[in-house]
Amino acid sequence: MFGWLGRSAARGILTTRYPDAPPTPSEAPVSAHAPEPRPAVPISPNAVAGCPVRAIAPDGVDQGRCIRCARCLAQGFEFSGPVALATAKRPDRPEGPGAILGGAAPLARLGRSIHVFLVDVGSCNACNLEVLSIAHPQYDASRLGIFFTNSPRHADVLLVVGVPTEAMVEPLRRAYDAIPAPKAVVATGACAIRGGVFEGTPGLRSGVDEIVPVDLYVPGCPPPPVAVLDALLRLIGRERTEAPT
Amino acid sequence: MTRAGWEVEAGDDGPVEDGKRALAYRADDGALALYNDYDRGRSILRTPKIPGTWSVRTAPAPGAHPLAAAAEVAGYGTFTFPYGPISAGVPEAGKFEVRTYGERVLGLVPVGGFKTRSVATSVLGLPVADAGLRVERMAGNLSASHVSAFLAAAESAEGRPVPTAELYVRALAQELQRLYNHVRQIARVAEAAAQNVGLAQVHALGEEILRLQGSVFGHRWMFGALLPGGPARRVDAADRDRLEHALGGIGAEFDVLWSLLLESRTFVDRLQSTAPLSKESAIASGAVGPTLRASGVGWDDRLRAPTPPYTDLFVSLPNETAGDALARILVRGAEIQASLVILEQLFDRWPTEESITEPAESPVGPGRGIARVEAPNGDLVYDVTVADGRVRRLQFRSPSAANWPAFAASMQDAVFTDFHFAFESFGLVFAETDG
Repeated sequence: MFGWLGRSAARGILTTRYPDAPPTPSEAPVSAHAPEPRPAVPISPNAVAGCPVRAIAPDGVDQGRCIRCARCLAQGFEFSGPVALATAKRPDRPEGPGAILGGAAPLARLGRSIHVFLVDVGSCNACNLEVLSIAHPQYDASRLGIFFTNSPRHADVLLVVGVPTEAMVEPLRRAYDAIPAPKAVVATGACAIRGGVFEGTPGLRSGVDEIVPVDLYVPGCPPPPVAVLDALLRLIGRERTEAPT
Repeated sequence: MTRAGWEVEAGDDGPVEDGKRALAYRADDGALALYNDYDRGRSILRTPKIPGTWSVRTAPAPGAHPLAAAAEVAGYGTFTFPYGPISAGVPEAGKFEVRTYGERVLGLVPVGGFKTRSVATSVLGLPVADAGLRVERMAGNLSASHVSAFLAAAESAEGRPVPTAELYVRALAQELQRLYNHVRQIARVAEAAAQNVGLAQVHALGEEILRLQGSVFGHRWMFGALLPGGPARRVDAADRDRLEHALGGIGAEFDVLWSLLLESRTFVDRLQSTAPLSKESAIASGAVGPTLRASGVGWDDRLRAPTPPYTDLFVSLPNETAGDALARILVRGAEIQASLVILEQLFDRWPTEESITEPAESPVGPGRGIARVEAPNGDLVYDVTVADGRVRRLQFRSPSAANWPAFAASMQDAVFTDFHFAFESFGLVFAETDG
């Protein structure tokens, strides 16, 4: 036991200062940032045609579809956008440029501390692990009043990852119904938003919001832990706000 | 709903030793079979030469298969306890049907199919590079192994030359991911044993590996980093120096945590003799990877069926014979140390810039390719047919799919509180089983 105590003391504090400080490069590698066209570079037809998930249109990028494959980097794009993209609207092109990049007003549906219930409806496992890692020492969500719970009856937030398969439609509905009101649903990752790389595959639903109402969408494939933290903090009105310049 | 696990193949098209099972991958005319004859040190992939000579049973014979036997246990007071698909202990969508009369597990049947995204059929007709984006999302925590096996099979199908440096990048990605997965598996077992301080320390180490992957490949899970024929991202000398330095720290940290964990009697006692799998039962159920190596069979594709650059490396083979949860965790711990040695060897022998040849402009021709890779949780096989640069057929056998029957067999006569120790020691992933 004293060995562990000594180890903990020797390592010091590992936990990020987020949301009090911006995410560091090690917390948010290049692909954690949203892809945007380089300044003064128009979106080329090659970029539109070369996007494997049709996230790029001539007038903007659908961050909800983007899987951060980095192909557009050769077509005048760069990973320069924000890391925290959680938005209350579906980050879809048809809803206008304002909805594309998130930055939505604080949602604050819930107050103080929240308990999160994670449901996988057909993910590749990367989103599951990124979401769970917010409880690990480097992020330590419990310091912000965010906890995971093992029962939907104890939960405030339903956090859904993966592209919904037909077999998971009913279990997801039941999990949603089991959560007492007030509750919030967070669709995490490209698969949960629009189906991601699997969009259009027969037998799969294109997005969690076809099954349960969604309050927040968290783009990314998978979203890094700081983006997941940002989304959950938005629900309690404690998200990081940039200082006015 | 399909039962996870693989059907036992009955027929054959050539000389097979008596009693040696062959596992079929798929019941169509392009079947691929694996003969496991570990007593003679053989595990051979075969493609039947004459279509139709294989009689693939769609359901295992009652009693012949651990999963079938488990489903049939009956007796006074027995009932089937459904666990999943949304459950507290397993962070994935999957279900277990536990046959029990209370506490003792009389039989356990893993039920998959909740995460079927039809990756193998949805890539048909796509260019190889685009298909790779879906294949790496077969299982995010095993992406490097899946995409390396897929690309190796596709490149061999097309006859596309691959620069040596790219093979080194793929091996680097695989070994980093092996470190991450083994560290995470150890953390999950520590969590089940309520070793909370150790758990936090081991999780912190896992996060450091993810950050390292992110800083080298630009993506924490290395999605999009590996491409057919050539590297999407060159790992240059500065990257390698940074990696060597960081891995030295991770290795030293792991050694300390590992010895502290193994000093904890409560941790070791809880794992010892939990969910045992005998050598015979491991072979009969078709187990692969650390599961097989913990039961006394030393098969590792990196040593026994190596492809470059593993042909040039010294790979140690950590083996255990007890076959219990502790043995499987000990194998993983030893493999972390072995992978760090492998990574050092990779950096020492990294091809110089002069010896990198640019990939050929156009692939040579259509064909079928088969590749085998030792993923963190076992032997992974891809069988890909490519024509005109597009995927025409894709089959694969994931290590999880191979290990489900072994898991079910090890849980027979266990108690339900053993479940998490057993499950986490096997490293099973529903995502790659369902495909």
